[in-house]
Amino acid sequence: MNKIFIAAAAVVSSADLPAARLGPRFGRLDLQSRLALLAVASLKINFGGFARDRTGICLAASAGSLTTDFNFWQGRDSVGGPSPTLFAYTLPSSAAGEIAIHFGLTGPNLCFVGDDKNLLSEAADLIRRDEADGCLCVFCEVVSAEVAKIISSPPAATACALFLQRMNLETGVAISGSLHELQEFDRDMKSRCALISRTKSAG
Amino acid sequence: MRESRVVIAGCGAISAAGCGIGPLYAALKKNLSGLRPLEKFDSPRFQSKMAGAAPGIFDDENPAWFLAAEALQQARESARQILAEIPAERTGLVLATTKANIAALERISENRPCSVIARRHLQANLLAEDLAKNFGARGPVQTVSVACVSGLAAISQGEKLIQRGEADAVFIVGVDCLSEFVVAGFSALKALDPAGCRPFDAARCGLSPGEAGTAIVLVRENFAADGKIKIRGFGGSNDANHLTGPSRDGSGLAQAVRSALKSANLPPDEIDFVHAHGTGTSYNDAMESLALKTVFGDACPPVIGAKGMLGHTLGAAGVIETICCVLAMQNDFLPGTPRLSVLAEGAPKSLLREPRFGVRLKNVLKLNTGFGGMNGALILSHE
Amino acid sequence: MQISTHELKSKIIEALKLQDITPEQIDDDAPLFGTGLGLDSIDALELVVLLEKDYGIVIKDIEEGRPAFRSVKTLAEFIAAKRPAA
Repeated sequence: MNKIFIAAAAVVSSADLPAARLGPRFGRLDLQSRLALLAVASLKINFGGFARDRTGICLAASAGSLTTDFNFWQGRDSVGGPSPTLFAYTLPSSAAGEIAIHFGLTGPNLCFVGDDKNLLSEAADLIRRDEADGCLCVFCEVVSAEVAKIISSPPAATACALFLQRMNLETGVAISGSLHELQEFDRDMKSRCALISRTKSAG
Repeated sequence: MRESRVVIAGCGAISAAGCGIGPLYAALKKNLSGLRPLEKFDSPRFQSKMAGAAPGIFDDENPAWFLAAEALQQARESARQILAEIPAERTGLVLATTKANIAALERISENRPCSVIARRHLQANLLAEDLAKNFGARGPVQTVSVACVSGLAAISQGEKLIQRGEADAVFIVGVDCLSEFVVAGFSALKALDPAGCRPFDAARCGLSPGEAGTAIVLVRENFAADGKIKIRGFGGSNDANHLTGPSRDGSGLAQAVRSALKSANLPPDEIDFVHAHGTGTSYNDAMESLALKTVFGDACPPVIGAKGMLGHTLGAAGVIETICCVLAMQNDFLPGTPRLSVLAEGAPKSLLREPRFGVRLKNVLKLNTGFGGMNGALILSHE
Repeated sequence: MQISTHELKSKIIEALKLQDITPEQIDDDAPLFGTGLGLDSIDALELVVLLEKDYGIVIKDIEEGRPAFRSVKTLAEFIAAKRPAA
C-alpha cells in the first residue's frame, strides 16, 4: 500500500509577482527564486502537518540559472564590482534554498537542469525510500530576452509546483487539498499542474 | 537505500593535481598542494590570484567539454573490461556541475569568438546529452546542480538509477572550470583567501577556487569482480537558514550524516575516516567541526580535506574528493590535509596534517555542503 | 558636508530591494543589522558596493565598515567624514 498522492498544484508567471507578499526580503530574490517561491506559496500547504526534516524539495530549471548569470556578469565592470547578492543566485539550487528557508524545510533536496520529466518520479522515489513523507516538485522556466538570443530558446518567466505526499494510512485522512493519485506513467509535471490547478479553480 | 548493489568500477580525473589518476594518487601520498598564483586573476577585480588550475592545452572556448571528456575517457578506459559486457542502452550518465561552460557567456559578452558547440554547452543539460552520446551512454541521462553538493548528489542519483533497474552502469561526471565569473563572484562575497585556502587552520580566512574534470563509473555489482568499493549510503538535508551562510550549529549537516548512516545501516563508530568539505572559510570549517562533534562526540575518526591540494572545484568536488577516498581505500592509506599548519580551536583533534600509511579502511564518510543550505553525506564501503 | 539621511535611506532601500518600506519608516538610530532592519552579511557587502558607487568611498576590510554600519546615522557620519573632496 505505497500510494502517493498529488495534494495540490499551482502555475505562476511574472504577471503574478507584483501582488505577491512573501516577506520584506522577497525583492532581494532573483526572478527564478521569486517565481519558485510564489508557486510553492500558491499551493497553500500547511507544512506544520509534516516533520520539517521529512519534507523534500525536487526542483528543475529549464535554463539553469542563465538569466541571473547574465545579469550578474553584466554588472562586472560597475563601480564597486558586480553584485554579491546576484552571485548567490547564479545557481539553480538557490531557488530551492529560498523555498527551504521560507517554509523551514530541512529534508532532502534534488535540483536538476533540464525538463520536468524526472521530477515526479524522483520525488515519489524519495517518499518510497522513506527519506521523506512529502515532497515539493518545482519546475522553473526563466529565460530573459538577452539569454533567449544566446541559447536560441523562447523567452519565459513561469514556474509550476505541486506537492506529493504519502497517504496517512492509519487515519486515511488527507493533510490538505483534494488528492489525485500519482500514476506510474505520470511524467509530464507541467501539464499535470495546469490540469489540476484549472480543475481546482473551476470546481 | 536497501542493501547496496552498486560498486565503483573505474575513475578518471584532471585537476590541479595533474592529468590522470596516477598523478592524483602521487599527490595525495606526498600531501602536495596544487594551488598557484595565476596571472589571469592578477587584477583589482579579484580578491586573490591563488587557484587550482588543471594542466594541459585547453580549448579556451569550451574548457568544460575538454575537462569532462578527458576525465570520462580515462574512467571508461579504466573500466573497459566490465563495460564491454554492458550495452549502451543500459548505460546512463549523470552530470554534476554548477556553471557548465560559463566561458561561453564571458566570450559572448565581449564579442570574442565562441563556437556553436561552446555556446551549446553553456546549458548543462546539453553538455550532459553530448557527453552521453559521445561516450556510449544511451540509457537515462540526468544533470544535477545542487551547488557544491552536486558531485555527491550525482553519485547518489547514479546509485538510484542502477538500484531501480533503469541502468546497469552509470557514468558520473563532475566538471567546473576556473573562470573570471566565479572568481569575481567569490571576490564580491569577500570569500577568498589571498594566501590560498588553509582548511581547518587557525589562520584560515577563505577559499581558493579550483577546476576539475572528473568521472566515476558505477556498475551493478554482479558485473564487477570482488573487492570493489560500494556506494553504501547517502543522506541529504537543507539548513533552511541563509543562502550563503551555513547553519551555525552544524545541525543540518549532522542530520545528513545521520541519514546516510541510517541508509548504510552503520553506527558512527564504524566509520574509519571522514573526508570533510573543508573549504577554508571561517564559517564552513567551524560549522563542520560542530557537525562532526554532534555525530561522533569525542570519538571522531581521522578527518582530512583535499581542498588545499585541489582548490574548491564546486560541482566537481564531490566526485573528485570521492575518488581521493577510493584511492585511500584501495591503497591502505590515510591522506593528509595539505596547507593545514596550525589546527584551529574547535576543529576535530583527529584532523590529519600528514598522510598515514598501512591503514586498512573499510567505511569512509565524504561530506560536502553548498550555497542554499545544501548538505550531503556519502558512505563508501570496502569489503 | 552633511549627508541627508532621507537620501541615504532611499539609496539603501533601492540597493537592498527592500519591499513595502519608505524612508520615513526607518529610524535614524535604529540598528541596521541583527534586529531593527534585520540586514545580514550579504546586505553588508552590498552596502560596501553602494559606498563606492554612490559616494566614492572604498572599504578594503569589512571590519572597517562595521562601526559605520550600526545605524543610518552612523553611516551618514561615516560618509561625511570619508567622502573624497568634490
